[in-house]
Amino acid sequence: MLSALDKKLLKAVANLEDIPKGAYNIRKNGKLMGREVSANIIIDTNEDGTGIIVNIKPGTVNESVHIPVIVSQAGLHDVVYNKFIIGKHSDITIVAGCGIHCGSSESQGHEGIHDFLVGRGAKVKYVEKHVAMGAGKGKRDLSPTTRVFLEEDAHVEMELTQLGGVDEANRVNEANLGPRSSLLITERVMTDFRQVAISKNDIVMAGQGSRSNLVSRSVIKGNSSQDFYAVIEANAKCFGHIECDAIIMDNGVNQTIPALKANHPDVELTHEASIGKIANDQLTKIMSLGLTYDEAVNWIIQGFLK
Amino acid sequence: MLELKDVKFSVTDAEAPDGKAMRMIIDGISFNFERGKFYAITGPNGSGKTTLARLIMGINPTTSGSIFFEKKNITTLSITDRARAGIAYAFQHPARFKGITCRDLLSIASGKTDEDELVEIIKRVGICSYDFLDKHVNSELSGGEIKKIELATTIARNPKLAIYDEPDTGIDLWTIEPMVYLLKKEQEKYNTTTIVVSHNRTFLEAADSILLIRDGRIAYTGDMKGVEPILMDLSLCPFGEFLEGGKNAECFR
Repeated sequence: MLSALDKKLLKAVANLEDIPKGAYNIRKNGKLMGREVSANIIIDTNEDGTGIIVNIKPGTVNESVHIPVIVSQAGLHDVVYNKFIIGKHSDITIVAGCGIHCGSSESQGHEGIHDFLVGRGAKVKYVEKHVAMGAGKGKRDLSPTTRVFLEEDAHVEMELTQLGGVDEANRVNEANLGPRSSLLITERVMTDFRQVAISKNDIVMAGQGSRSNLVSRSVIKGNSSQDFYAVIEANAKCFGHIECDAIIMDNGVNQTIPALKANHPDVELTHEASIGKIANDQLTKIMSLGLTYDEAVNWIIQGFLK
Repeated sequence: MLELKDVKFSVTDAEAPDGKAMRMIIDGISFNFERGKFYAITGPNGSGKTTLARLIMGINPTTSGSIFFEKKNITTLSITDRARAGIAYAFQHPARFKGITCRDLLSIASGKTDEDELVEIIKRVGICSYDFLDKHVNSELSGGEIKKIELATTIARNPKLAIYDEPDTGIDLWTIEPMVYLLKKEQEKYNTTTIVVSHNRTFLEAADSILLIRDGRIAYTGDMKGVEPILMDLSLCPFGEFLEGGKNAECFR
């Protein structure tokens, strides 16, 4: 049975109104709350009981698996190790995410360590949202680690979102790309007050003809800070691009450090980075369409993080 | 419907030795724009054409003088309030946005989200493609495409007064005639008072009245016939008087 608070958190992190259809695994306060498997998607608890193994049979198409985590117990720091084995030529969507509800002055946190082994020719869409809410003054930490291994011709699209409420986030994304595989990571982070978010990305392009695109959009409000590090290391003929844009508001601070390493003569690596306030010409344009200054700022930020 | 009364705009002159002197950009312009008419503002580079247009939209504040729109004093109104009163502005260099699509921009401009209604708007500027709505308003769009979207967001507001700042910038020669036709059609169909800042003869010929701005003042108002000799004269080299020492100089190359 889901409580009203559970439902609120599930809606925020996984856009779920109720228990999802198809395969799912809901973890609440460090314990299994509910699980459902399908003919093609098997979910097992791992040997030491610290997480789950999601096994997707080869050729599974148009299926999804939801694995949301809820942390609402005061003082709890939940660490989970999940492994996804995605069979060749499957085409699936994985919806993850963590919602923290903090009602006390004790700190709460979640660390999700996710390994993805993506089989030959498989297509994966991974959606992860992090949300923290509640009136408590306790610190909310969310520090995910995502490691992706792509076999040849595999394609992975990752949407990683954290739009407020999280006091401290240390994110690590690592990927290793096989021949002709491709990876698209889009990370959107908004911080406010005194929140701190650090994102470290290491992408190794090991296979010939692999492609990667890493897009980061940051909005830094209040006295918050965000650091973004991205390294693409290319060891074969490949294409890699990093695009990181940060909008600073109030007294926010930002460091954006993209790096490209070419260990092969035929690589094509590019990056673009920008940090700044919302451009005046954008604000003027939107105000000339009838929005007030504040409405225009909000509209531009919403679009930027969409 | 729009009346300018001794409008002035000055900025601090960066070249002044004490850094305090003011430089007059618009030097006392008074003019009455009539409802439903098509006006072209022209003049040499740096004469104050765009500044005048920006003063009307409220993008820059007037230093002195007043602006009346439909008999209401709008001199101190914000851009937002002027937009809500029925003034629309198409920028010479339209802003580009990350994460915003043509659909987003047109929806906010028109207040509509229905796909068919949005397609009707882009059709009015000569774009006949549903795909176009989902294009991002960033470097994905060519110079010509972004100008068309700029026009579309302007007409989408069904303004009483539409100001177009150099709408032909970045547009290929073959698109200028249809653009003039579009603006004329909008003017006639919706009785939109239209002000176009342009150097382009096609726009000047289409105008009911031309305002020639020089050194921040109106140097002439009237039709193409009257303005042409002045423009020809202005296009002559103004350094002529300095070159008369030629009889005492020789080139040894």
